[in-house]
Amino acid sequence: MKLAFCLTRDAIDAPLDQRFGRAEFYGIVDSETGAFEAFENSAKHASGGAGSKAVQQLVDKGVEAVIAPEVGPQALDALNAFSITAFRQGGCTTVQKALDAFKAGTLEKVEKPGNKGLHRA
Amino acid sequence: MTIAILSGKGGTGKTTLSTNLAGVADNAVLIDCDVEEPNAHLFFRPKLTATKALEVRYPEIDNDLCTHCRKCAEFCRFHAIIAGPKVTLVLKELCHDCGGCFAVCPSGAVSFGSRTIGAIHTCEILDGKTLVYGVLDTGELSGVKIIDEVKHMVEDAPLVLIDSPPGTSCSAVAAVEGADYAVIVSEPTPFGVSDMKMVVELLRTMDIPFGVVVNKSGIGDREIYDYCESEGLTILGEIPFDRDLARGYAEGTPACTMSESYRDMFYGIWTVILDAAEETVNGRS
Ligand code: SF4
Ligand code: SF4
Repeated sequence: MKLAFCLTRDAIDAPLDQRFGRAEFYGIVDSETGAFEAFENSAKHASGGAGSKAVQQLVDKGVEAVIAPEVGPQALDALNAFSITAFRQGGCTTVQKALDAFKAGTLEKVEKPGNKGLHRA
Repeated sequence: MTIAILSGKGGTGKTTLSTNLAGVADNAVLIDCDVEEPNAHLFFRPKLTATKALEVRYPEIDNDLCTHCRKCAEFCRFHAIIAGPKVTLVLKELCHDCGGCFAVCPSGAVSFGSRTIGAIHTCEILDGKTLVYGVLDTGELSGVKIIDEVKHMVEDAPLVLIDSPPGTSCSAVAAVEGADYAVIVSEPTPFGVSDMKMVVELLRTMDIPFGVVVNKSGIGDREIYDYCESEGLTILGEIPFDRDLARGYAEGTPACTMSESYRDMFYGIWTVILDAAEETVNGRS
């Protein structure tokens, strides 16, 4: 399973970024093989729609889950439309810690925040 | 003549000035373009004469016709479309209704739906004057469409005063675009001056002539006066710090209707603004 992380540098030991849409880099770990790749977030300077562009990049990489500091309601809807599950990294500071927490099933899933979503009929 | 009233940030007295100028200027139509937080109407007891919903279009993608070629998503510079291998998703709130995705789609998968993003209210204020204000629905991201429509509704009026959104956002740009003259309202505090500099830059970029009204003069320091002098900016007037001025808000009537002295003060500022505006407009034509 391909998992995405928000990174401050393009290295597996980089501290996790505290922003999702405007993270410096995204890192992707294949939880079966352990393979790692990182790439620069092309939306980090976007004036608007950063969350959406972030989702596009993750969709392009075939990611199945993303571990992020927080995901806004609109980005969450978009992730869900592409069957990408979002989890909060919580207190985890590195990919390794977040990956361990993910495998242990202790990461909190980001759920649709009630009626606060931006989508209305 | 269209005159926009702006400020670097909220709460600097922009609406106090706008509503009082509307009170003293003959034949003025006031439009409140601060659509995320319109409040000019709170200074009046407005008689609502018309309301209309504002609709915008957004693309709808027929996934049966879509070949997932990604052209629409690559075209959309607002990132309102996300293209995946099996799904092409539209994020309506990010769409700016440019029609581009429809034009680039090779397989006719794009059609348009419409949705309401806010409302525009027209009211009568102060025996016979008109106030038009837009309200953006909560959660909507861009008020530009509403602002454009409000301006369009009053484009035949001889004198339009625009209460603009604070700051230099897209909404502020939309509000002042096409104005003949602009007035920046600022407070004589260091924060007031630094916020104001951005607005000065914006107006210069947009090539709109402008002057400055200092609100709450008498408090704070001289920085704003020094700044205006060094930049060659005209100070059009000063509103002294006065607790009673804020009362208009609570009483539902602008200060200029409460006493002769307020009326005279705002009328004085208004004549200076109008002179400066007419001078630059005539000088340009
Ligand atoms: S209409 Fe324009 S802004 Fe809206 S989704 Fe299509 S390309 Fe993007
Ligand atoms: S351009 Fe048309 S066919 Fe191509 S992805 Fe967009 S909607 Fe689908």
